Amino acid sequence: MGQAEDFDETLERLTPGLRRYARALLSGAANDLADELVHTALQTTANEAGRESTGAVLDLRVDLYASLTHAAQRRLRSAAPHRPSLRQPAIMHRLADLPFEERETLLLVVLEGFTYEEVARITRTDRPVALMRLMRARSALTALDRHPSPGADAGRRPGPHLRVVK
Amino acid sequence: MTSPREHVDESDLHAFVDGELDAENRRRIEDHLHNHAEDAALVEGWRRQNAALRAAFAQTVKEPVPAGLRTASVTSLTRSFGSGVNWARFSPSKGASLRAMRRSDTSRRPPRRPAIIMSLLTLLAGAVVAGAALLAFTGPASPPSAPQRAMIEPPGLVAHAQLAYLTFAQDSRPVEIGADRKAELSSWLGERAGFGRLPDLADVGLELIGGRLVPGVISPAGLLIYQSAAGARAALYFERAGGERPSAPPKTLPGLAAVEWRAAGFAFILIGPLTAETARAAAESAAAQASR
Repeated sequence: MGQAEDFDETLERLTPGLRRYARALLSGAANDLADELVHTALQTTANEAGRESTGAVLDLRVDLYASLTHAAQRRLRSAAPHRPSLRQPAIMHRLADLPFEERETLLLVVLEGFTYEEVARITRTDRPVALMRLMRARSALTALDRHPSPGADAGRRPGPHLRVVK
Repeated sequence: MTSPREHVDESDLHAFVDGELDAENRRRIEDHLHNHAEDAALVEGWRRQNAALRAAFAQTVKEPVPAGLRTASVTSLTRSFGSGVNWARFSPSKGASLRAMRRSDTSRRPPRRPAIIMSLLTLLAGAVVAGAALLAFTGPASPPSAPQRAMIEPPGLVAHAQLAYLTFAQDSRPVEIGADRKAELSSWLGERAGFGRLPDLADVGLELIGGRLVPGVISPAGLLIYQSAAGARAALYFERAGGERPSAPPKTLPGLAAVEWRAAGFAFILIGPLTAETARAAAESAAAQASR
C-alpha cells in the first residue's frame, strides 16, 4: 500500500535510515560525505521515479539504497579509505576493515533489515553471492571478537588506527 | 521429500538469525541449536554482533535530518525541473534586489545576533573603563587597543569565479559537456559539485551552451556557460559554501559584471560582460527559477 503514501513522505520517512546506512558504510569516519551521498541518492531516485512516471515505483526503498550504495562505491573507489577516529567503538574499526562488498551486505541485512533477496537486488548480485558475503563478513568480525588481544590485532594489520610517532 | 532435512549448514544458521526462515525451518534450527552447543554459540555471537552494530549507529536516526536533506524540498524541485537542490526560499518580488537575497541568508540565523552585540558592548565597556583607568593613573597614554577580533575573510570566491570565467569562457572549447547533453551534465555536476540544476536564462537573452566541473576554492565547483545572441559569454559559477556572508562587494575586471548570492549552502556567482541591469536580471532569474 505504498501508493497511499505520498512520494515525498515516503522519501522523508526513509531518510533517517538512509543516513544511518551511509554513515555505517563509511565506518562512521566521514559524516559529511555520508550526507552528501544521501543527497545524491535522494536526487537520483527522485529523478528516476519522475522519468519512469508513476506505477514503476516498485520498491522505492530498494531503489534508494541501491542508488546510495552505487554512489558510495563510485566515491570510495577514488578516495582514500576513511578511518574512524579512536573515540569510535571497536565495531566501527572492524567494519572499516571489511571489503566494501562485505560491509554493504552486512549493513543492509543487520542495520537496515533487508531480506537476502532485496540485498541481492541492491548490490546487483544474486542471493547466493549475497549470502556468501554476509557469511564472510560475520566470520571476519567474529574472528576479531575471539582474539581481541592487542597482539592478534596488530598482527592482522600493523597499527591501523595508531600512528607511531618516534 | 517434504520432510524437513536433518542437515543444517552454516547458511541456515545465518538465515535463522536474519529471520529468513519460515516457521517450519525455524523450528528445525531451534531443535538443532538445542543439541549443538557450538552452533548455538555461533548464533549467539552473531546476535551480539548485530546488537553492537545497531547500537553504534542508533544515534543517527534520532538526529534531526539536516535542512539540506529535507526530501520534500529536494524532490518537489526535482520534479518540476528535472533535477534539483533545495534553494533558500525567498521571493524576488519587484523591488527586492539581490541585497534582499543576501539579507535572507543572514536573517536565517537571528538568535546569534543579540549575543554578538552584547559581547561587543561588553568588550567596549571594558575597554572604556580600562582606558579611563589608564588615563587617570598614567596621565596621557596610548589609547586602549581596540579589541582584537579574529576576522576570517572568506576565500576570494568572486576572484576565483572570475578566473574560471576568464580561463574557459573565451576558450575554443569552453565546455566539457554541451547543452545537448543536459541530463548528463546535470547528473555530473550534481554528483561532484552537489548542485545539478541548469537554470534557463533565455528570458534575459542568455542561451546555455554547456558546463564543466572546475576546481573551486575549497571543493569542486560547477561552471555553466551561457551565450547571448551577440556572442557574449557569461558564466554561472557555484560552489559549496558555509553560511558566512558574501565577502566585500565583488570587484571585477573592467567590462565584467558579477553578482554573488548564497542559497542553501552554495555560493553562486554570475559573471560576464553584461550591463549591471542584465547581470542582476539574469541572477534574479537564476535564483528565482529554482525557488519556485
